[in-house]
Amino acid sequence: MSEDYYARMKFYCDESRCIQCDGCSVACAEAHELPVGISRRKVITLNEGIEKKEFSTSVACMHCTDAPCEQVCPVDCFYIREDGIVLHDKDVCIGCGYCLFACPFGAPQFPQDGAFGTKGAMDKCTMCAGGPEETNSAKERELYGQNRIAEGKVPVCAAMCSTKALLVGDSEDVAKVYRERVAARGHGILSAPYGWDAAYGNK
Amino acid sequence: MANTWGYGAMTNSLGDIQNAKAIIVFGANPAVNHPVGFQHFLKAKERNNAQLIVIDPRYTKTAAKSDLYAQIRPGTDIPFMYGMLHIIFKNGWHDQGFVDDRVYGMDDIKEEAKKWTPERVEDVTGVPADKLIQITRVYAKSTPGTLVWAMGLTQHSNGSSNTRMAPILQLALGNLGVEGGGCNILRGHDNVQGATDMCCLSHTLPGYYGLSKGSWGYFAKSWGVDYDWLKGRFKSEEMMGAKGFTLARWYAGVLAGKPGEDKIHNAGTNLKALVVLGNGITAIAQQAKVKEALDELELIVLADPFVNEAAVLTDKKDNVYILPAATQFETSGSVTATNRASQWRNKVVDPLYESKTDHDIMFELAKRLGFYDEFTKGMLLKDDPKTAKPVQVKDKFQWPEDATDEIARIIKTIGLTGWTAERLKKHSENWHMFDEVSGRGHGPMKGEYYGLPWPCWTTEHSGSPILYNIHRSVAEGGMGFRNRFGLEHDGVDLLAGKGSAPKGSANKDGYPEINAKNIEEVLGITLTAEEKSLIGKNWKVDTSGIIAQKCMEQGMAPYGNAKARAKVWTFPDQIPLHREPLHSPRQDLVEAYPSFADKENHYRVDTKYISKQSEKDWSKEFPVNLITGRLVNMNGAGVETRASKYLAKLTPEMFCDINPGLAANHGIRDGAMMWIHSPEGTKIKVKAKFSHSVAEDRVFIPMHFAGYFQGEDRTGNFPQGTKPYASGESANTVTNYGYDIITQIPETKGGLCRIEKA
Repeated sequence: MSEDYYARMKFYCDESRCIQCDGCSVACAEAHELPVGISRRKVITLNEGIEKKEFSTSVACMHCTDAPCEQVCPVDCFYIREDGIVLHDKDVCIGCGYCLFACPFGAPQFPQDGAFGTKGAMDKCTMCAGGPEETNSAKERELYGQNRIAEGKVPVCAAMCSTKALLVGDSEDVAKVYRERVAARGHGILSAPYGWDAAYGNK
Repeated sequence: MANTWGYGAMTNSLGDIQNAKAIIVFGANPAVNHPVGFQHFLKAKERNNAQLIVIDPRYTKTAAKSDLYAQIRPGTDIPFMYGMLHIIFKNGWHDQGFVDDRVYGMDDIKEEAKKWTPERVEDVTGVPADKLIQITRVYAKSTPGTLVWAMGLTQHSNGSSNTRMAPILQLALGNLGVEGGGCNILRGHDNVQGATDMCCLSHTLPGYYGLSKGSWGYFAKSWGVDYDWLKGRFKSEEMMGAKGFTLARWYAGVLAGKPGEDKIHNAGTNLKALVVLGNGITAIAQQAKVKEALDELELIVLADPFVNEAAVLTDKKDNVYILPAATQFETSGSVTATNRASQWRNKVVDPLYESKTDHDIMFELAKRLGFYDEFTKGMLLKDDPKTAKPVQVKDKFQWPEDATDEIARIIKTIGLTGWTAERLKKHSENWHMFDEVSGRGHGPMKGEYYGLPWPCWTTEHSGSPILYNIHRSVAEGGMGFRNRFGLEHDGVDLLAGKGSAPKGSANKDGYPEINAKNIEEVLGITLTAEEKSLIGKNWKVDTSGIIAQKCMEQGMAPYGNAKARAKVWTFPDQIPLHREPLHSPRQDLVEAYPSFADKENHYRVDTKYISKQSEKDWSKEFPVNLITGRLVNMNGAGVETRASKYLAKLTPEMFCDINPGLAANHGIRDGAMMWIHSPEGTKIKVKAKFSHSVAEDRVFIPMHFAGYFQGEDRTGNFPQGTKPYASGESANTVTNYGYDIITQIPETKGGLCRIEKA
């Protein structure tokens, strides 16, 4: 490993292990006390009930290497930490929704309480790393939820994952775990899935 | 299970599934019902290249992870397994040595299997013949193979035949008593194994001791009370020995005497009061009858952390009491996992507000009823080693440690002697020192298996992670099959063959269960005069502990070393036979494979089989198969999970999985409301959810909803502020009449219904 190596935090959901138990999404909602209308993390199942074609995966903000949301934001509310976690400032966000259109994963969430679908400040997965407010302050907790990373804890979704399908951590470590599984199975993914370059590509 | 080889429990463990080369799942959906445990299945696939085979009427989440899947018609597991055996015997893939030494009655199975050709199996089960052959080849050739089941196999009128058939398949392949093999029955809730062991049942005493006078006498002595006092609590000695009502049919005890209701045998009286301690009785079959019975009762007491929806279902206005019970986080004690292992659980907070723990509720009730001292006396006693009799050693008990130690002192049948509170606590505290797959301890925990899976014969024993494993010594958890059914039957020896004794056994042959009379001969030892004076009548009631101790020294299991039996001569079907569900979509097969004769006094209720099945051709009016089951985000009757907004969000409404083709035939659109009618004349109104997981001849409904009844919203009956976020029709309002011939479990996994656009 070169001397200028920095950890780059990534999620990866191993679809061979994901069983759509929704432990991740419920743990997330519970830990951050989200409104019912906000889904920072979702489990998606495709081809439900069709033999050999059904599969499930857990999706949230992928903390993209070259985050499209950050590029399109007209008020520059996004910032990318040194470890690669993509966060944003809700006090700056104007709720325009550009980021939602740019995001390949449908991660940005908007409270829609007002008339005519007016949007409040965007909300999304923080990888349990809080936001720009003082770490572990009451305001940070209210706006962004728990800051587990600052406490040295694993993001709650991956901690709760019942089959350890959802992996999180330094991309090198995540890749190592997944590589071992693929080698043991003798087969892996056939081709890079949709959104791969955005989420995992090199800058 | 218990009638096949001695104990009715999971033989191996979830972790041990990682050792399997093939996993076959009948009527279980662990990806949904045991999501954390399912990681062991996935790891077996990953690390061991294990083939996962799923046999289920639905393409479940477990099936989505399978290598081979067969969509079976509900209630045809026996033909499917006979079909497998047909191919196995024909090709000689069975383990003849294992069968010869360790199984009784396999020849009869072989004969029956001859009838079940793949083509005939295809006709009955709906599984293509080549699929059956493919599955059988993969399963028989990949050893060790483990067989997993849950409620999908048991909840049938012939469920007890199903649960004998699966062990027979494993016995034929020699997949028993080995790592990565066994019958891994998945328990559905936290501590179900413990509740069963401790007798939340109506036909045994704790530890599966029977209801005979001898058993009652042993418990009277162990509890420190007079037998006559115990007897005086019953109407008569006859009723003391009679099986009670079951959860499935308690309502019949209330409704008997009304027109059309089944006759009861309850010492001349109907049930008048009901006390429910944490049971979701709104998830029990025949909800309309349950409601009628609730309305009829004189007194209802419901103790639960949430409002038991029985209170919402009933129209009864007076004498309904809802008691706030504490949760598991507000109390401590031991719980038993699906693999017979125990864990100590510590209290997190004291009971909140007015809530009380379950044991406090029972203690208070015992006080009011005037038998608190007798009720709790067992916790004050210890066996005196000098006399082998229990004596009082303290004036006040320490909860729950003394209760755990009392269980360890009394229960010998399943080997709980080693389960002292001190040992169980030590295991839970040193959780990290045990191996995930084998359960073996390391460091200070070396020589013990996690949670001391029973039988744990003595306070030094390691626990037995794999039942009937003769490749290990008894001291390390090895054993043969239990000698439970006599020494011979029809002139055939029922003890195990030569060379199938556990490793290191002094007796290399099969041997009977140990009692005071045969101990010296069978173990090959001589007892001292003092030992002879102290020893109990047999290993199940030996308070001296001498039998267990001597057995350990000789490397022998106190319960003997016998053959498993494929034939149960006390059952209506001596070998498992296919019988169509009481409500079958195949009238032609009903005539070929009719149900049992009606059964009198079945847990105090006369129960209909053939008379119900032959009442009419049910399939004409009710052509669709009805399957019920569980959802990953819900538990039991569902009130506590529906009261969580995040869990309720995942399935906010009661629904029905329906194939788009079937829906189209009835003009039902995705998301539209539909009626489901049952042969009992009941109906529910639910939302249609298109799904390809069910074929066009069947629908699936989840069992976790309540609050609505036959189209009527009853949630107004919730006390203020207690209504859950999600409510809906109970699936069990439309599950059909039908109960297992031995256990009386309801036939909820193979009924009929008619669907209609709402």
